[in-house]
Amino acid sequence: MYRPSSLLSNPPNQDFSLRGGSDEDNLDNSLEAERRYFKLRPGFATSDQTMELCNPYHEDRNVSQDERDFNPSSVTFEWLRQAESASLYGGSEDYTRPVLHHVRSWGREVVREKPFSVIHEFDAWRKNPELAEAVAAIKALTAVIKRSGASTMMGLEVELKEASDALKAWDESSISLSAGCDLFMRYVTRTSAIEYEDIEAGKARLIERGEKFGDISQKARRTIAELGKDFIVNGTTVLTHGYSRVVIALLKLAASEGKDFNVVCTEGRPDNTGAEMAKELVPAGIPVTLVLDAGVAYMMETIDMVLVGADGVVESGGIINMLGTYQTALIARSLKKPVYVAAESYKFARLFPLDQRDMSPAPRHVDFLVPLPQTVRVENSARDYTPPQYLTLLFTDLGILTPSAVSDELIQLYL
Amino acid sequence: MKADKAVEDVGESAKVAGGVTFEWLRQAEDASLLTTPARPTATDHGDSSFSVIEEFNYWRMQPDLAEAVAAIKALTAVIRRSQASTMMGLEIELKNASEALKAWDETSIPLSAGCDLFLRYVTRTTALEYEDIRAGKARLIERGERFGEISQKARRTIAMLGQDFILNGSTILTHGFSRVVLNLLKLAASNGKHFNVICTEGRPDNTGAKVAIELLAAGIPVTLILDSGVGYMMEKVDMLLVGAEGVVESGGIINYIGTFQSALVARSMNKPVYVAAESYKFARLYPLEQRDLGPSPCHVEFVEPVPEDAKVENTARDYTPPNYLTLLFTDLGVLTPSAVSDELIQLYL
Repeated sequence: MYRPSSLLSNPPNQDFSLRGGSDEDNLDNSLEAERRYFKLRPGFATSDQTMELCNPYHEDRNVSQDERDFNPSSVTFEWLRQAESASLYGGSEDYTRPVLHHVRSWGREVVREKPFSVIHEFDAWRKNPELAEAVAAIKALTAVIKRSGASTMMGLEVELKEASDALKAWDESSISLSAGCDLFMRYVTRTSAIEYEDIEAGKARLIERGEKFGDISQKARRTIAELGKDFIVNGTTVLTHGYSRVVIALLKLAASEGKDFNVVCTEGRPDNTGAEMAKELVPAGIPVTLVLDAGVAYMMETIDMVLVGADGVVESGGIINMLGTYQTALIARSLKKPVYVAAESYKFARLFPLDQRDMSPAPRHVDFLVPLPQTVRVENSARDYTPPQYLTLLFTDLGILTPSAVSDELIQLYL
Repeated sequence: MKADKAVEDVGESAKVAGGVTFEWLRQAEDASLLTTPARPTATDHGDSSFSVIEEFNYWRMQPDLAEAVAAIKALTAVIRRSQASTMMGLEIELKNASEALKAWDETSIPLSAGCDLFLRYVTRTTALEYEDIRAGKARLIERGERFGEISQKARRTIAMLGQDFILNGSTILTHGFSRVVLNLLKLAASNGKHFNVICTEGRPDNTGAKVAIELLAAGIPVTLILDSGVGYMMEKVDMLLVGAEGVVESGGIINYIGTFQSALVARSMNKPVYVAAESYKFARLYPLEQRDLGPSPCHVEFVEPVPEDAKVENTARDYTPPNYLTLLFTDLGVLTPSAVSDELIQLYL
């Protein structure tokens, strides 16, 4: 299994396929690596080194870098590390510039500064099709920091907590949203534990991290695609359920390498995810077959593997995903087909459902296409929970994990 | 009458052979004398434009008539119009008509099961010596005519047998539209039992809505779920109850697509799977895998337009192997899947 900490011992430019294909990535990596990892000395009070020693995502700050390398169970925030190398832009944007909009005042259109609302911000980011919800949440929280008038880190933390609660209350059913908020809050809490002389420097740091998160999400998908594509060999038939950009990235990457495989998509009522997936995969030259949700068991004997995304990965190693994933995984396991999940690490959530109804309800409107009597009840949950015993492997940007390894990773992330 | 005695002999010999007689035939003898009137066509003889397929279509459009019964009524009409002078000749005509029906709708299992059963009965009957071809024909016609009541009686028998399995407070999951299952549930409700029913949406035929409308009219609370919600709901369900289009030799069933999936999920969660099927649905088939069934494509209407290059898998039914079934409620009694092959051997021997 690929170990992220092996990054530190290898010189960054060598055959390390997970690094992006561009030269810029390698360049950033080499500079930063030199700066951060090779000049580390305990006790030296420069801001850079203080940064690293106190980097909240180093699981054990008192452990030296060498020890960390050899400790097989230490995992750092890989995605943060990737963020450091992922950005294609050097500095941060000018965060003092306010957002302007046109309003009518006294009969004339004037330009005023828009009153800030974290929910508006989140909504705006979420509309970007490439951006995952967790990333949008983190960008919204970053915007809160930008506009914060707090003069101490504690004050900033309190503002962020309020904003995070507001976001979670606004959309109670979204797991990736709350996972993203929790992760960012945790990072902020750890960072504010450090003594920043200058509140502005502290804010600048947090904003920089938040801004780079967008790239992390792209990089995470690339990482997962690189890891997962080897599981697809020529002649494979892959079944997928629900709409997941990570899965699409994985399949497209495998296809671009010239592999011959075909994909079976379930119809995905009522969101029509099957048609959406087909629209993405067919232009990439992948043969797609659509099957009704009821036809999964019928098709299962012709299928080699099931590949799904996830809305959230829970502490037990199970996943929360679109309704129908549970029964697809169950059928696959009874017929002895492997079930693979592609999920980024920021989807790991602090939940432990014991049955289907332990999750917060996520109702949605289902159109049954025929008129129904008034007294009929409709079960309209949007998602279900797949217990870990039905999953084979999870492809994450922290590596390829078994479901039981997920709880270890979560402990590392949140400890 | 000699004909009566001949039939008694058949019954005796079959009993001696230790097997099951045509129970439904016996029921026909007990069945009420309310025969459905024969189709008011022109004459009994020489109608040159007679088509067995037309006849079959006419009967099939009756709302409560099962397809197998419609097939048998069509074959009865063939006998009525037959000009054969010997039983062998009659048999040959019937065989041709049966082939024509089967060729007309190759995918329908109840149709071919019904044809096979009736032909078998005819072959056995013609082994007896009827002096008078007319008496023989009359006998066969009488049996065919009474088949309508038999099918109703079969449903009542199954309803009575099956309703004892429904307890107060139970939750029943059902998939597909089956009149036998509806009868069973309505009988249980009318006997004062309180239970609720979960119906799957049943794409693409929207069977869930049809079942819901029927059950709500009988005062049974219904919840509709999507086909993908079966796994989600299964923890709350006490049993799965489905009908069948055909029961095969292994004891498995062929039913609407999604039945196999529901049965598999139910069995992995240790919920019982009950099938309600009349005995004339027992067919001479032994599928080994899903694709062993003949193709039966149905038109699937996707809500969102699908790219042209994407293929669509549009089978209308699937095969559920016997290890996923608990019990079958039939008019021959409540059988385990392994007992079904015994019954079939008896029927066809």
